[in-house]
Amino acid sequence: MEELLNILTENCPGIDFEGQEHLIDDGILDSLNIVMLVGELNEAFDISIGAEDLVPENFNSLEAIYALVQRLADE
Amino acid sequence: MSINSAGFLLFLALAAAAYYLLPKPRRWLVLLGASAFFYLSYSPAAAVYLLLTVAVTYAAAHILDTLRRQERAALEEHRDDRSLIKKRGKRRRRIVLGAALVVNFATLALFKYLDAWLGTASRLLGLFGVEQSFGPLGLLLPLGISFYIFQTSGYLIDVYRGRVKPEGNFLRYTLFTCWFPQMIQGPINRFDKLQPQLLRGNDFDPEKIRAAIQLMIWGVLKKAFIADPLAPAVAELFDNFTQYSGASLLLGSALYCVQLYADFSGGTDLVRGASALFGVEMAENFNRPYFARSMDEFWRRWHMSLGEWMKDYLFYPLALSGPMNRLGKRLRTRFGPRAGKLAAPCLSTVVVFLMVGLWQGPGFSNIAYGLWNGGLMSLAMIFSPFFTRINERLGLDEKNLPFRVFQSLRVCSLVVIGRYFSRATSFMQALRMLKRTVLHFGWSSLGAETFLSFGLAGTDWLRIGVAAGVLLAVELLLEKGVPLRKRLDDSPEWVQFSLLFAAVLLLTACVYLNTDYTAIMYVYENV
Repeated sequence: MEELLNILTENCPGIDFEGQEHLIDDGILDSLNIVMLVGELNEAFDISIGAEDLVPENFNSLEAIYALVQRLADE
Repeated sequence: MSINSAGFLLFLALAAAAYYLLPKPRRWLVLLGASAFFYLSYSPAAAVYLLLTVAVTYAAAHILDTLRRQERAALEEHRDDRSLIKKRGKRRRRIVLGAALVVNFATLALFKYLDAWLGTASRLLGLFGVEQSFGPLGLLLPLGISFYIFQTSGYLIDVYRGRVKPEGNFLRYTLFTCWFPQMIQGPINRFDKLQPQLLRGNDFDPEKIRAAIQLMIWGVLKKAFIADPLAPAVAELFDNFTQYSGASLLLGSALYCVQLYADFSGGTDLVRGASALFGVEMAENFNRPYFARSMDEFWRRWHMSLGEWMKDYLFYPLALSGPMNRLGKRLRTRFGPRAGKLAAPCLSTVVVFLMVGLWQGPGFSNIAYGLWNGGLMSLAMIFSPFFTRINERLGLDEKNLPFRVFQSLRVCSLVVIGRYFSRATSFMQALRMLKRTVLHFGWSSLGAETFLSFGLAGTDWLRIGVAAGVLLAVELLLEKGVPLRKRLDDSPEWVQFSLLFAAVLLLTACVYLNTDYTAIMYVYENV
């Protein structure tokens, strides 16, 4: 989780990921942030996040992003 | 049947009465019948093409679902070859999805683009001395084709991704595709949001009906008092641009921005209100776009259902594709990490807006319009750290009101320039108009007599000005978070009645008693 948080804050400075539940719904993370993040996450965790995974439920909070990374890493 | 006619109101009233009189499980049949009647009243021939799309996408969705179920069964049976089974299953599903999307978009291309492309091919061959003319086919553009092709394609991709279960009943699926309020100019609805509302048999709720009627009246007022009266002036300025100064042409493009917003958002309000009469809430299309402070934000507030569609089904798949990933890595090695990160979103944004431009029409001016918007947004991404540094040095931030106004005016100016391309009938016309605006601006030409030379009298301008002022005031209050709808609902009944009476009186005077008035077709009615 810590490694993930580091990647997120490094790529999206100014966004407080901890305690946020509606990163997408409230427009805090936009499509540019997401595309950049996906590239970093794919590389850091050796996973492949596809367009079908880019739904608000997977990016609305730090916990949701962590769950997505975990799921794809297990596959 | 025009949606701005008394006939449409009668049709709505009869359909709504039938809907609420039937038992809940049967109510969706009224929606289907009303949609079929509405579509057939426009063009019975076009219904054949609509049904073709319905049949192809219905069948493709079921094949996709069957393949997914077979894949799951195989995964349970052979636990060792999971990766191979998944790979094979994905490839099969991709072939089916690809084939269905090709059929869908080929149908759209046949009606919307083929004539223009044949004309271009003939001209290109002529340049090489080959006198080969490909005559226009002159096919009638089926009503709502740009909207239902996108809506059914989105549904198919959702089924492919496993986000929604395919609709099992052909008639129910037909209703999703041809739900009549969305057929004139969208919005492009999503299956998971729209279908449950169409099928569940909604309760009669007087509050919702009242809100729906308010929304419809608001939409018609925007169309009748701003969009339609402005249309002749805008047409005059664009059609006879050589007779006007650059300042007048700039004004013409700005007026077109106002006309288009009142027309498109007014039409959307009307159809969303019509849909809400049956308890069906369709997707939002506008969120006060001219208050946006960046082009990116503008496109998140303008034609939102198309923007969301493009983001989910084109931008993300493209930006995350293998070739984009490889390009990003190459640029990262050569030009540094930032270049590597920006390559995919910037290029994908340009492609998306190229498609947005083409969605509006096949001409080069539409392509230029798309490139203008995509190019601006990509440049904004590239230079974002530079702008942030400048703003920090000047001590400008989001709380600074004059700065926020400046940002919105900057967006409006860029939109006005872009509209030269989307309103002009050709790319060359747009370029000549822009050249005239820059080289022959002529401030002094913007006198009172100039306004009267566009074909509108002083009283027309006064009426348009008052209506646009009311619209601006309402949108400003909403932007500041004032809950106008709630205030209206909480106001004394005599206030509500007076407002309703005034609106109906105004519309009756404008539309029904004025023999010169004819409702102009919606700008996006024929896309």
